[in-house]
Amino acid sequence: MAEDSQRNFRSVYYEKVGFRGVEEKKSLEILLKDDRLDIEKLCTFSQRFPLPSMYRILVWKVLLGILPPHHESHVLVMMYRKEQYMDVYHALQVIRFISDSTPQVEVFLRMHQLEAGKLPRNPAFPLEAEDEVFLAIAKAMEEMVEDPIDCYWLVNCFVNQLHNKYKDSLQQLPKVLEQYLNLEDSRLLMHLKTCSTMSRLPYNLWFKKCFAGCLPESSLQRVWDKVISGSCKILVFVAVEILLTFRMKIMALNNAEKITKFLENIPQDNTDAIVSKAIDLWHKHCGNPAHLV
Amino acid sequence: MAQQANVGELFSMLDSSVLDMEDITAAFKDNLNSDRGPMLVNNLVDYFLESNSQQALHILSSLQEPHDKHLLDKINEYMGKAATRLPTLSLLGHVIRRQPSWKHKLSQAPLLLSLLKCLKTDTDVVVLTTGVLVLITMLPMIPQSGKQYLHDFFIIFGRLSAWCLQNPGHVPEIYLVHLHASVYALFHRLYGMYPCNFVSFLRSYYSMKENLETFEEVVKPMMEHVRIHPELVTGSKDHELDPRRWKRLETHDVVIECAKISLDPAEASYEDGYCSVSRKICTHLKHHQTDLSASHYSDTLSSYGTSTPNSTPRLTLSQMPGQLPQTLSPQSMQLSTEPQQVMQLLGVTIWSPSVTCGMTTPPTSPGIISSESSQTSSQPYSKFFGTAGGKGTPLGTPATSPPPSCISDDFVHVSPPSAAATPHKKEDKPDPGRPSLSRQQNVINSEKALEAPGSKNSVPLRDLPEFLGGLAYDEDSVEKDKEEDAISKEISEITTDAEPMVPRGGFDSPFYRSCESLLGCQKKPQSIALGVQGHSLTSEHLTSSLDKPGPEGTRDTPKQAFTPIDKPSGGTGENPAGNGESQTSVETSILTPSPCKVPAQRGIELGSWQPPQYEHLFEVALPKTAYLFVSKKTEELFKKAKGNLDEDCTCSTSPVEVLDRLIQQGADAHTKELNKLPLPSKSADWTHFGGSPPSDEIHTLRNQLLLLHSQLLYERFKRQQHALRNRRLLRKVIKATALEEHNAAMKDQLKLQEKDIQFLKLSLQKEQARYHQFQEEHDNIVAQLHSQIRQLQHDREEFFNQSQELQTKLEDCRNMIADLRLELKKANNKVCHTELLLSQVSQKLSNSESVQQQMEFLNRQLLVLGEVNELYLEQLQHKHADTTKEVEMLQVTFRKELEKAKFYVQQQSQRLDASQKRIIELESQLAKKDHLFLEQKKYLEDVKIQARGQLQAVESRYKAQKRITQAFELEILDLYGRLEKDSLLRMRKLDENAEAAEVAEERPDCGNEGCADPMAGYSEEAVGRNGETKPPSTHGSSNSKGGSSSELSTPEKPQNQRLGPFGSRWETTVSLEPSSSVPLTVGSLPSSKSFLGMKARELFRNKSESQCDGEGAVTINSLSDTLKTELCKDPSMEVKTLPGPENPSPSLKNQESSVGQLRIMDYNETHHEHS
Repeated sequence: MAEDSQRNFRSVYYEKVGFRGVEEKKSLEILLKDDRLDIEKLCTFSQRFPLPSMYRILVWKVLLGILPPHHESHVLVMMYRKEQYMDVYHALQVIRFISDSTPQVEVFLRMHQLEAGKLPRNPAFPLEAEDEVFLAIAKAMEEMVEDPIDCYWLVNCFVNQLHNKYKDSLQQLPKVLEQYLNLEDSRLLMHLKTCSTMSRLPYNLWFKKCFAGCLPESSLQRVWDKVISGSCKILVFVAVEILLTFRMKIMALNNAEKITKFLENIPQDNTDAIVSKAIDLWHKHCGNPAHLV
Repeated sequence: MAQQANVGELFSMLDSSVLDMEDITAAFKDNLNSDRGPMLVNNLVDYFLESNSQQALHILSSLQEPHDKHLLDKINEYMGKAATRLPTLSLLGHVIRRQPSWKHKLSQAPLLLSLLKCLKTDTDVVVLTTGVLVLITMLPMIPQSGKQYLHDFFIIFGRLSAWCLQNPGHVPEIYLVHLHASVYALFHRLYGMYPCNFVSFLRSYYSMKENLETFEEVVKPMMEHVRIHPELVTGSKDHELDPRRWKRLETHDVVIECAKISLDPAEASYEDGYCSVSRKICTHLKHHQTDLSASHYSDTLSSYGTSTPNSTPRLTLSQMPGQLPQTLSPQSMQLSTEPQQVMQLLGVTIWSPSVTCGMTTPPTSPGIISSESSQTSSQPYSKFFGTAGGKGTPLGTPATSPPPSCISDDFVHVSPPSAAATPHKKEDKPDPGRPSLSRQQNVINSEKALEAPGSKNSVPLRDLPEFLGGLAYDEDSVEKDKEEDAISKEISEITTDAEPMVPRGGFDSPFYRSCESLLGCQKKPQSIALGVQGHSLTSEHLTSSLDKPGPEGTRDTPKQAFTPIDKPSGGTGENPAGNGESQTSVETSILTPSPCKVPAQRGIELGSWQPPQYEHLFEVALPKTAYLFVSKKTEELFKKAKGNLDEDCTCSTSPVEVLDRLIQQGADAHTKELNKLPLPSKSADWTHFGGSPPSDEIHTLRNQLLLLHSQLLYERFKRQQHALRNRRLLRKVIKATALEEHNAAMKDQLKLQEKDIQFLKLSLQKEQARYHQFQEEHDNIVAQLHSQIRQLQHDREEFFNQSQELQTKLEDCRNMIADLRLELKKANNKVCHTELLLSQVSQKLSNSESVQQQMEFLNRQLLVLGEVNELYLEQLQHKHADTTKEVEMLQVTFRKELEKAKFYVQQQSQRLDASQKRIIELESQLAKKDHLFLEQKKYLEDVKIQARGQLQAVESRYKAQKRITQAFELEILDLYGRLEKDSLLRMRKLDENAEAAEVAEERPDCGNEGCADPMAGYSEEAVGRNGETKPPSTHGSSNSKGGSSSELSTPEKPQNQRLGPFGSRWETTVSLEPSSSVPLTVGSLPSSKSFLGMKARELFRNKSESQCDGEGAVTINSLSDTLKTELCKDPSMEVKTLPGPENPSPSLKNQESSVGQLRIMDYNETHHEHS
């Protein structure tokens, strides 16, 4: 609270006028200045405000546990991470799963598989559904993060988080989506139900892949901010907002396949707006984000 | 065609059978209703013109609307022909006089034009006269059309008036009289309807010189008979022609309007304000006439006996009868044709004022009319017509004209001769002159009644009954008295009005009259029948009928027969007649026609006697207005009676009178001649009279007859109009009467109500007085009660005050009681207190007493003790001892000891202080250290966390490494699997070559190995199939197999081979000196042996190389580090446990060189672990 009182008294007005993120950056810097970073506070901050892109990777790494809270050990730990990466990479090379020509994403996948002990006997073995999800997320992450080591670690930890922490809640998301869609636009829901589309919406793309490949990375990272900071419900609201935004088109379509097809390939032009609205909607419906899971 | 035939039949039937006339007429009417064509009407007109059929005329005159055009067209057609003009005109006259509903169309019909043209051009006097009469009849029906034809009317008037004078057609003078009369009527009509226009026409027309003579001779005399028309003053030419003026007036109104302005007693009708004036004039006229008649009479008297028919004196003589019979004929005609209608007319007129007027003179006449009107039809006729026609009497208005006046006229008329012959009064009866005169009159009357076409009314009829009565006298003079008695009784019974008359005389004049009429009706039906069919009879019939009385009696008998008529006729004045009947003396006086006596008698009768007799009746029967009216009339009568005396008048006779006289004279002459001559010689002797040829004479007479007929019809028409008028006036009077009575009733009611109101007011006042009284009483009582109340209230207040005082007193007492109680309580307290005190004091007293006793006892002891003390003092003084030195010594010692103790205490306290300070120091140090510990702890925690983070990273690394190794192992195993497969295949080939030699040698070993071999092979295969499923288990077996297989395959180095697997185990553990040899063995083994070995070696080398190349020194270091740690931990422990003598130092030494070895060892160790 002491920090808040020290904050610029204009911050209130900034927000009113619509400048977002003016104060956030400073407060984030203050947060990051702490030795032994407070993970809780970072979580809350990231849920409440959009992260400045310059700190995003750092915050993500801290939140995902790639980096420890102490600044001192950052270098050391990062060194370890790098060595591990290199080891795994080397091992994969040795067992000839990857080569230099192997695309980075697949490299990540193989490394992940190796680390998870799920490496198939043969690289020619067909990919499983999990691997598809990983690939999609990795591909998105690759766009966001330049350093392959960071990228690998982020993808790895992100996927692990999805699998471990959100495993149960992810399965509940379709129901939650229906509930909130009913609140927002019951007619649309009725339409979708009459078309029997509700069960056939691209839940895989939306919830398992966390919109990777659905939204452009610039929008996607804002969603992932929330996901990484501990809330997977944001995915539901993004989905709801997508439905609401393309309401007219969906209403015009009567076929479940067509709707699904359309939703899988939504236009990429105003996704930023969709995400902003989705976040607003999320705030509106879930109140204090700090208590969201 | 059938209809044509039918019509023909109808025409044939029309006159054939008179019996079913009604049916035929109905048939015609049906035909007319069904057929709208002109055919039937035309046929009818033709038929009428041919046969002069009365039925046809009747049907034609009652034609209805749609046929009028055809009829008018047809009449117009025949009007154009000179031959049929006259009958056509008469037909037109008949039709018009019926006043058909379509009469207004006449003004537009071309017929009117042709009629006017005819009147303007025709030269036949008969036609002209008839036409003019038709025109005159038509004029009031179409008054508004006069505008168009007005000038034509005037021209016609001018032409005809000139005609009268100049006589261009040289027609007989007798026609001119008729023409003159009709022109006179036309003059009246035109002057009455369009005075301004007509006067202006006269002015312009007769200003011309050629017309001046006509004016002087014809028009001017006519003008003497009219008054100044009021329209001349108020109206104008345009106003006269205004249709609005005529809209309000009906036909009869117009006729009456025209009659009003006439001064001619024959024409005039007196109403309203005109009466007095016209009456005066008329009386003048009358006197003049009477004068004339008197003179003529004297003439006749003088020329008595000659009996030559003189026209002039007859004219003058017959002036009065001429006047009287004015309204004669219709009676007879109506009697014949429409008796019922007449009765209706009578029914209306019965109640008319005329009847009441009749009452003024003979009260019985109304009685008769009311009771026996049907029987005595002639009587009401006489009454009615007498009044309506005015009988030429000056009383004029039918309502008031009293019969006495006419009687007086008769009387006057008769009186001059009687006056002249007063001395031979008795001779009057036998006197032939008088009877002849009277007879002649009567004859003329009857003749008129029978043949005259005019519209003369009642008086001749009245004369007729008289005449008949006279006849009755003649024949039944004996019976007369008896019958009269009987009838008088009857009538007296029937008529209540007659009762007052009864005491006056048994024979009242009305009664007498009724007798006459009754007799006339009963006894002489022939004569009535004769009169009934009078107008349809020819002159010959007439003469024959007239002959009847003639043959009845001789020349004398008629005279004698007529003598009694003379009496009544002379005394037709009822009163004189009645008197005459009752008192002979009076009769004589009446019959002696002294001019002085009669008025005197009249005066007596009307002024003193009679009026009072009836006035009271009037008051009962009529409202005041009527009474006033009647009284007015009676006054007029007086005046008239007085006026009898005046004898000068300059008025000329009117053309009508001239015509009348002419007719009378003609008729007179006719009868005379007829009577004189025997019938057969009539035709032969025609020349004897006028010298003219008989055919001419007949023609003239016929024409004359026609003229008279038309005149008669015209007069009848006028009479009808008058009748209409009368009915209307009568209705008005009745209404007025009713209103008057209503008014009177209302007034009575008003009075009654006023009385009621007054009575109510009185009672109100009474009630008010009572009310006031009650009020006062009430006030008194109220005042009394008020005073009582006041007194009581005052008492109450006093009592209230008293009670209040008492209450205050009561409260005071209560307070006092309370105070007293308080005091009582206090006193009680005090008493208690004092008692207590008393008891205390008593106790104290007792105590003090005991104390005193003790004191006394003690005092004694004291005394005793004192004595003892003195005793002891004495003993003490005796004894003295000294111990002070010892005490001082003791004190000194004690002081020294005290100082010592003090010093010691000081020392002890200083030590205590020091130790306390030390404790504080130590405590602060302790706190510092605690703090330090805490910080250290925190730091430690921090570090721990940090370390944990790092450790996590490291762990993850380690895990990764583990995975990597696993992957590697897998790979390696995989490779091994492949290798063994290959070698197995090669072994089988070699076995086949060196089976025998080796089997013997290696039997014991091979037994074991061989036994194990297939198993190993199998397991190897299973491993190859299963992959990684059982790596640890396979490892061991594979190793052993591998060893065994290599042993088998390489017989040159069984030691090594054997040692390899076993040695690798044991060498590494037991002795590590030949560290370099181990790699050699490893590296040399496969190369020397086979391709597979080469491969394996290559693999190892590659691996080591790659390790060296890829990671460099750092990686080697790191690896060594890791290995070091691993070896420090796991293998060392294992080594320690398995083989006892084992030290880590050599391993540390050889760590660089024997990485791969270590690996293998490690590998093996892991194997061990697994196994």
